[in-house]
Amino acid sequence: MHIRSVVFVNVAMASLLLLAAGCRMPWSKRGGAGGAGAGGGLGLDDPTLLETTDIPSVYDNMGGLVSGARFEDTLAPVQGVTFAPVYFAFDSYALAPSEVAKIEQVAMHLQQNANHVLVVEGHCDERGSNEYNLSLGENRAISVRTRLVELGVLGDRIQTRSYGEEKPAVMGSGEEVWRLNRRGEFALFQK
Amino acid sequence: MMHRFCLAILFFAAVGVMPAAFAQSAAQPPLISVVKKGADKNTVSLSGLQASGPYGQLFVKTLTRDLELSGWFKVAPSGAVTVKGSVADAGSGVQSACRVEWPGKAFNWARTSLGQAEVRRQAHQLADEMVKLIAGEVGIAQTRIVFVNRRGRNNADLYVCDADGQNVMQVTHDNVAVVGPRWAPNGRDIYYTSFLKGYPAVYRMAVGAERKALAAFKGLNTGAAISPDGSRAAIILSYQGNPELYVLTLSGGNLTRLTQTPHGSEASPCWSPDGRSIVYVSDVDRTPQLYLVDVATRRSRRLTYKGSENVNPDWHAKGGIVYATKRSGGYQIAVLNPQEGERSATMVTQPGTYEHPSWAANGRHVVCSNRGALYILDTLGDPAVRLINIAGNWMSPDWSER
Repeated sequence: MHIRSVVFVNVAMASLLLLAAGCRMPWSKRGGAGGAGAGGGLGLDDPTLLETTDIPSVYDNMGGLVSGARFEDTLAPVQGVTFAPVYFAFDSYALAPSEVAKIEQVAMHLQQNANHVLVVEGHCDERGSNEYNLSLGENRAISVRTRLVELGVLGDRIQTRSYGEEKPAVMGSGEEVWRLNRRGEFALFQK
Repeated sequence: MMHRFCLAILFFAAVGVMPAAFAQSAAQPPLISVVKKGADKNTVSLSGLQASGPYGQLFVKTLTRDLELSGWFKVAPSGAVTVKGSVADAGSGVQSACRVEWPGKAFNWARTSLGQAEVRRQAHQLADEMVKLIAGEVGIAQTRIVFVNRRGRNNADLYVCDADGQNVMQVTHDNVAVVGPRWAPNGRDIYYTSFLKGYPAVYRMAVGAERKALAAFKGLNTGAAISPDGSRAAIILSYQGNPELYVLTLSGGNLTRLTQTPHGSEASPCWSPDGRSIVYVSDVDRTPQLYLVDVATRRSRRLTYKGSENVNPDWHAKGGIVYATKRSGGYQIAVLNPQEGERSATMVTQPGTYEHPSWAANGRHVVCSNRGALYILDTLGDPAVRLINIAGNWMSPDWSER
């Protein structure tokens, strides 16, 4: 347990160093894919940006896996509270203006329920590579998380998980099915 | 030199039967049209092989299909290569005593095998031996393919079968979403992403060992591909912000980050055969495309520009990089030479719904998925072959390297 915390201090230090170096972290940037043009290729040609992100080890002294405390592992889901899903355009993780009010509802709930924490779940439609969709779905969840943080929710109360195209809301094909499946969902957990 | 001379004679002999081979391929269902012409074949006759009982017949049936699937042989009533002798049913297995002959050369094959699996395994061994000694190529009959069967909404498991599509076995019993299984280079361990605990984490399944979580950080953990020397995993993690490509040292657990794309989604890493670079997918320039990163310098460069998507790369020393490309609305399988880049790209299939290609160990055949079925493609032009005929929603195949 002691080793575990040491490792995470190092991770936190590395992140701070990155910020101090003036490097733009994703959560410091508004939006999502809307800024992708400007962000395209950022850092790809500058490997020095990556030096400080190494961490000593993902294993502790007992050979156990060091990983973040995931809400799913330790906390109980909150029953009976549901939020409307946030929908996304094809191949995009930008938040449409129409979806922002839904996120504000979630932010309000978190502010009124200090013992609740949130997992934002990112989903994609069935088109495209399963593995790429897993990554795209994670960026969708991160977009929602970023907006929640901008609305004043503490970042450590929100975790993300991507299901990619693996857990459709609606089975089948066609534009309407795909639209309903490109979404962010909300799962509350109780501390 | 002698060996090559014999081979030349054989290939000339084989030309005579090529029209027959094409006639047969025309009768196959036209599921996939291959762009190139079919490959040269050695004719092989098994008529001098006496097989008795169900196990003896299983041996001959397995050997026949292996030789055909190898791409280097055409089994015929008489041939330049002959397999003679006997495969006798011996209780619950076979006693084989064979002699393989081809112009100026021969080898003997004698084995005792017990049980159906062992009989099939020994037939695979003989097929690979014939491919190696007669065609001078790497055999694939003893390799295996891992893939996903997705039953419904968020319900899936991993399955494994032999290269001939037989011996299908379910290897996980989790009934949850599972993504991108990959063999380690040792051909025994399988790395995959599972939602076993309700979030995506990377697991390793090794023969005779407990399943072990390799990465379960906050956020996304996926895409583990093991380096050719077996020491490192290329992996996609988002615990530092958003999805990025990392290299994880398997012994010490050290993580090195290779990309820095706050607005990009990285996916599907695959090592170069020399272990110095990794080809991966990123949408950092808007659409998912292939990129190549030098592991030592961490410098990335874009590899593909044609098509609205280029995904699921797999790299073989001989075959190059095989990937799925989306052009004019459909997905097709393409191969490019990494030294020459995208201008060397050639199509292996017509446009359609072909996804997730993976090289066989010979760098010639490719397994891919197409509408819930798996197919073996031949980059030298033989017709595509459906891998398994069992009902299921089969996807994301990965072919072992040994």
